[in-house]
Amino acid sequence: MKYLNKSIKEINELLKQQRIKPIDLVNEAFENIENNNDLNAYITLNKEEAIKKAKELENQEVDNILFGLPIAIKDNIVTSGLRTTCASHILENFIPIYDAFVIKKIKEKNMIIIGKTNMDEFAMGSSSRTSYFGPPRNPWNKEKISGGSSGGSATTISAGDVLFALGSDTGGSIRQPASYTGIVGMKPTYGRVSRFGLVAFASSLDQIGPMTKKVEDNAILLNAIVGKDEKDLTSARVEEEDFTRLIGKEINGVKIAVPNYFMSDIVNNEIKESIKATIKILEKNGAIVDYIDIKYIENAVTLYQIIAMGEASSNLARYDGIRYGTSEENPKDIEDLYLSTRAKGFGEEVKRRIMVGSYLLSGENAKIYYNKALSIRDDMRKEFKKIFKKYDFIIGPTTTTTAYNLSDPMDDPRKSFMDDVLVIPVNMAGLPGLSMPVGFDSESMPIGMQIIANSFEEAKIYQLASLIEKELKLNLNPNGGEE
Amino acid sequence: MSEYIPTIGVEVHLELKTNTKIFSDSINGYGEMANSLTNVIDLGYPGTLPTLNEEVINLAIRAATVLNCKIRKTMHFDRKNYFYPDIPKNYQITQARTPIGYDGYVEIEVGGEKKKVFIEEMHIEEDTCKSAHRGTKTLLDFNRAGVPLIEIVTKPCMKSGEEAKAYLEKLKEIMYYCDISDCKIEEGSMRADTNVSIRKNESDPFGTKAEIKNIGSISNVGKAIEKEIERQAKLYDNNETFKPQTRRFDDKLQDTVLMRIKETGNDYRYFPEPDIPYVILTDEIIEEARKKIPMLPDERKKIYVEKGVSELNAKKLIQNRSLSDYFNTLLEESINFKIASNMLLGDISAYLNKYEKTISETTLTQERFIELVKSYEDNIITSKNLKDILEIVLESDKSIKEIIKEQGIENISDDKEIRQLIKRIIEENKESVEDYKAGHDRAIKYLMGQVMKETKGKANPRIANEILVSELK
Repeated sequence: MKYLNKSIKEINELLKQQRIKPIDLVNEAFENIENNNDLNAYITLNKEEAIKKAKELENQEVDNILFGLPIAIKDNIVTSGLRTTCASHILENFIPIYDAFVIKKIKEKNMIIIGKTNMDEFAMGSSSRTSYFGPPRNPWNKEKISGGSSGGSATTISAGDVLFALGSDTGGSIRQPASYTGIVGMKPTYGRVSRFGLVAFASSLDQIGPMTKKVEDNAILLNAIVGKDEKDLTSARVEEEDFTRLIGKEINGVKIAVPNYFMSDIVNNEIKESIKATIKILEKNGAIVDYIDIKYIENAVTLYQIIAMGEASSNLARYDGIRYGTSEENPKDIEDLYLSTRAKGFGEEVKRRIMVGSYLLSGENAKIYYNKALSIRDDMRKEFKKIFKKYDFIIGPTTTTTAYNLSDPMDDPRKSFMDDVLVIPVNMAGLPGLSMPVGFDSESMPIGMQIIANSFEEAKIYQLASLIEKELKLNLNPNGGEE
Repeated sequence: MSEYIPTIGVEVHLELKTNTKIFSDSINGYGEMANSLTNVIDLGYPGTLPTLNEEVINLAIRAATVLNCKIRKTMHFDRKNYFYPDIPKNYQITQARTPIGYDGYVEIEVGGEKKKVFIEEMHIEEDTCKSAHRGTKTLLDFNRAGVPLIEIVTKPCMKSGEEAKAYLEKLKEIMYYCDISDCKIEEGSMRADTNVSIRKNESDPFGTKAEIKNIGSISNVGKAIEKEIERQAKLYDNNETFKPQTRRFDDKLQDTVLMRIKETGNDYRYFPEPDIPYVILTDEIIEEARKKIPMLPDERKKIYVEKGVSELNAKKLIQNRSLSDYFNTLLEESINFKIASNMLLGDISAYLNKYEKTISETTLTQERFIELVKSYEDNIITSKNLKDILEIVLESDKSIKEIIKEQGIENISDDKEIRQLIKRIIEENKESVEDYKAGHDRAIKYLMGQVMKETKGKANPRIANEILVSELK
């Protein structure tokens, strides 16, 4: 009997009526993962602990909708006692001694951590191919990438192993793989979810978010992980709210902007067609859609590279082989310890970004590049704010193409950033953005649409997304019709 | 040796006296077991983020205020990136671009002349961990990692080791009085580096700089500077040059020793710390922090002298903050402050030193101290009596009157009795009387001594003196 393909309300009822136990869900999840082993979605499974936790929960009251549900965690979110590698050799054997804020939150909800998902090394990449543990495969076509950097979380959700996963998004790392694998991925407003315990890539951009198959599940998981955290000074103090509260409400009269850049030649035609078809549905439901120009969004990738790589070069300095992680045995001296540990511990893409980032912050460059990028970022934020005075949403495709082949060359470092050209502006402006499936291309690969709203308006995004989901009724099972 | 004009700047690191560290809630302590005062944040574990200890901001505002600095109301932190085993994150969180304080001064006095030492800037940063080298191994103790520091940088405005010493003594005194730092050089809570260069004429550009690091005491700073000036002068006299360099002061050699030649273009890749938002200091925050500034040593000294305390005693009092604080609580009373200061710095200090106590650990309430001072002033007790009863005074709660009674102290204040005695002594010491009349003041002291000897010290000295003088006429 399968339960993880039911709605979470049904599962919750079954648990409450004690017709199933958490252990049934845990066993089913591990069975699924075992069957999908070739997808390489996980770096570490938490089998023993998960089973133990499930047994413990048998004696507890089912006190919330997420009770007893298995969840997969991206491997850059630290979990006490459970290996956290960031898909890097340098943290290959790193077992954290504390839980990230979001992990504490999901443990409070009595969710069960099933394992740590594959990703690009230190979240640097857009195809999860920079993982030290090899790339995950796309459940819709195993020869294709799942995207990245949260590729493993996207894969396991898409394949239907579990209903919930956490990812992180610095420059599209939740939304882009969500788009490639036909799932729902939300990057919340910067500051909405505490970063305490998220291994830093680019501190001013990183944000943890939920990845699920259904829109409502996504909102429910977001409900569980938000909140002001005194341990993260960039965590926002905002009033508690229910992100599902607008789901099902009419959208008559909402104003939507479509940036011309998002529908320009850089985007594949099949994707544009799919987006246009979705826009028609929205208009049918009373939305007013305008095509507009947004200043600076063409520059977002350049700015992103400067800010993200600059911050990364500093954030990754701590991996020196002294206090934790992989360490060079018997170094000649301290210099040798640093050089050998880091030369062997980091992969090529990470090293490339550390080098470029160090260069960008060197001497006068900091002023020429980093500080200037910060100031243009401010202008970009203001431009978005201006647009949100007139519009409720900005929408467009999440990606310029659908998932490409795993065998495609990786020798052009710029390509990885260009994959994220449509998602990066959202990080730069600190806005919430969600990707959801809206169709398939001629090769049956999922097409994703991005919905962007003003800061802290995630609930509105879920309102629009749930309507599209209801109207489209897509079959999102990669294995075809069989449920 | 030719004459040169030295130019000296001083950089001081002070560990702030907070309960917890600057970016985590670990205890800020000294002398504990290695690595016992650490958590994942201090160790720079993956995923950790800094928080900001408000106490640090308050102490820094206090420090900037007493250094007469302007305060930057919108400030941020920066990362200083460099690889070294003593910084857990391989970057130090500091303030490079927006130091909390700037453009201040400290007033010093050297050779009776007052001078302002100008403060370029004062910023907040985190301390590094402590490393100890054992053979080929290096041991790291992270207890100090993340202890809050302020760094105070003067302008290159001093001209001698004496001035630098006076500046450091003054700085130490102020910071200690304001409870900003305990300023213990031997424990590393106050660390001084100095930059020294010399040149021939005021109109010449500054000479090549040598930095002397981590000097172990304030007096050694003075010595180090003088030695360095000498060394540079000799080189210039011989038409030699030298490269900018870092030196240290060797205590045994009593001279500076080369550590390393300064590398040019040291690149710390500073950028604004993205994990800490800008800090906005409102007028309320600044006012609140300033309220905690106590009366500063210079003002105390001025008041003490006005109250009749000798210059020397005033200076001694402010060197002992707990005594000075105690003394301050008496300033509104009408007592003889000269006697009070003598008592505190004399017998009472001797007692406190002997038993390693502070005045607040004794039973000497202000009320009882006032009674004690008055008893002495009114000749109810003599200085010998004071010595005899001091331990009881400082260890019991009895009133001074009661103690005097219990100890059977009865100084002879009866005029008749003393007059008779004095008459007899004058009779018996004709020679001294002659001496006195011939203008030898020493003679009266000898006669008084005889009075005290005869009464076993019980004669009221003021009355005895008056009678003696009148009888001698």
